[in-house]
Amino acid sequence: MRHGVFSMNGREWSLLAACAVAIFVLSVASPYFATSGNAATILRNSVELLLVGLGMTLLLAMGGIDVSVGIVMGLAAIGVGRALGADLPVPITALAGPIIGAALGLLTATVVVLGRVPAIVGTLGLLGVYRTAIFVLLGGQWLSGLPTGLTVLLGTTVLGIPIAAYVIALAYLAMWTALRRTPFGLHLLAIGNSEEKARLSGIPVVKVRFITFIVSGALTGLAATFYVANYRNVEMTIGSTLALDAIAAVVLGGTSILGGRCSLIGTVLGVLLLRILQNGLLLVGVPSLWQPVVTGGLLIGVLALEVATSRLSLSQLGWTRK
Amino acid sequence: MSAPFLVAKGIVKRFGALTALSGIDLEIRSGEVLALLGDNGAGKSTFVKILAGAHAPSDGDILVEGSPVMFSSPKDAASAGIATIFQELALSENLSISENVFLGRELKRSIFGIPFLRRQEMRKRVDGLLTELDTHISDPEAPVGSLSGGQRQAVAICRALNLNAKLVIMDEPTAALAVAETRKVLSLTRRLAERGCAVVLISHNIADVVEVADRMAVFRRGRKVAERLRAGTNPEEIVSLITGAHPDVRALEKTN
Repeated sequence: MRHGVFSMNGREWSLLAACAVAIFVLSVASPYFATSGNAATILRNSVELLLVGLGMTLLLAMGGIDVSVGIVMGLAAIGVGRALGADLPVPITALAGPIIGAALGLLTATVVVLGRVPAIVGTLGLLGVYRTAIFVLLGGQWLSGLPTGLTVLLGTTVLGIPIAAYVIALAYLAMWTALRRTPFGLHLLAIGNSEEKARLSGIPVVKVRFITFIVSGALTGLAATFYVANYRNVEMTIGSTLALDAIAAVVLGGTSILGGRCSLIGTVLGVLLLRILQNGLLLVGVPSLWQPVVTGGLLIGVLALEVATSRLSLSQLGWTRK
Repeated sequence: MSAPFLVAKGIVKRFGALTALSGIDLEIRSGEVLALLGDNGAGKSTFVKILAGAHAPSDGDILVEGSPVMFSSPKDAASAGIATIFQELALSENLSISENVFLGRELKRSIFGIPFLRRQEMRKRVDGLLTELDTHISDPEAPVGSLSGGQRQAVAICRALNLNAKLVIMDEPTAALAVAETRKVLSLTRRLAERGCAVVLISHNIADVVEVADRMAVFRRGRKVAERLRAGTNPEEIVSLITGAHPDVRALEKTN
């Protein structure tokens, strides 16, 4: 099967069309929507979700999932915030995010892979543990009024383009290369199809699963670095809708919730569609309380649609004679 | 005829108090299709699992190309050149044919320490194998999920050949196939043998076996009760050997 860096299939084109329709409708509905300032806001608000979404894409493709990404981002953000508060060199504070994230990914992998706990249950359990950890670490208070060093560093532009865009492009290319151009990607997709068959084929299943959880953790931690740079505070409720947003964006993008099939470009488009809708609905006067309803509704709707259509195509698949 | 590729001598397998195999002697030769026949529970699957390294024998010896071997895992058997194609083929439906053939043993080149797949080369090798086996599969990049049961068997056989297997064990390869597909897989089996592979075929279908096998070994209650060359037997005799109605089997079972 051939995959270009940005090649798109029907699903992805229709997602792009959905973005276009949403932009058109929201521009008509609100005079504040179609402004360059608002476009910048939408892109800015997409940074963390794009990074987390890339990691979530690999996890779902492998037949895994991580519902604790929001809290992992929170813990990493506390680390970054504390490092900033302690006046550590700015590059070190920036690296604190991905390092803490990778360490938490290692812990998740240990529970899920070595403990043989289903990923959804294992990460749900860790979610509970981490939530309390956040309470304990923050002592019920926000980290706020953090120094501006990181904000300045990540706010700089190169050739008129913000650093965040370069980081995301680099993360995208790295994930795409790993997935489509190296044995690792084949192994990951084979595990997503059937772990047992992958093992029979001589694939190092444990190793591949560990690496994927660690990479996803590091990307989530990197998102925390951008979060702290942008808001310069860490609140108790940080990341509470991140897992929902990430899973919704990835599934919208055409990655199979059952594993074995994924689309990185689809994830990027899924993130943009979500953020466009969330921003636009706010501008037309829908309270932000309703955002998770829209996201959750989209996720459930898309999955229901996929089940309804795949039942057809599955039966066809089994009987196709070429 | 040349020396056998594999010789099994006095193979015994016990599971607790149950004796699944008692004293199996069998020779497996390169370039020959050997069929293992027998009713359910006759011991042929257990025997094959020992050859494949999935079970260790309780007693007896296995010689591969004249030297004794001890398999402690399927990996050991694979490195001795023995590939087993199980009934539920271990193929990934979401990957392409060439990806499946090379899965776990991909060709790669390292650039800045990153192992990049050599897709072109893998595709060429698989294309060659598909043509050589006359499979009529034109596109090695097609997803395995879009293939028929017989075509999937062909892919599994390519995978075995690509691992340089000298002995290919096929467990009920035609069990789930339509008639035309069965013919295709049987001719693939012949072609494997013509290529110089030793082939062991497990099947319930006597018509298939008589058509494709050079030699047949009949298992019954954990023993090898008969061995026949294709030229020297017929389906009726084989059936009576399997069911135990044959006088030879009766005599054998009376003495022990």
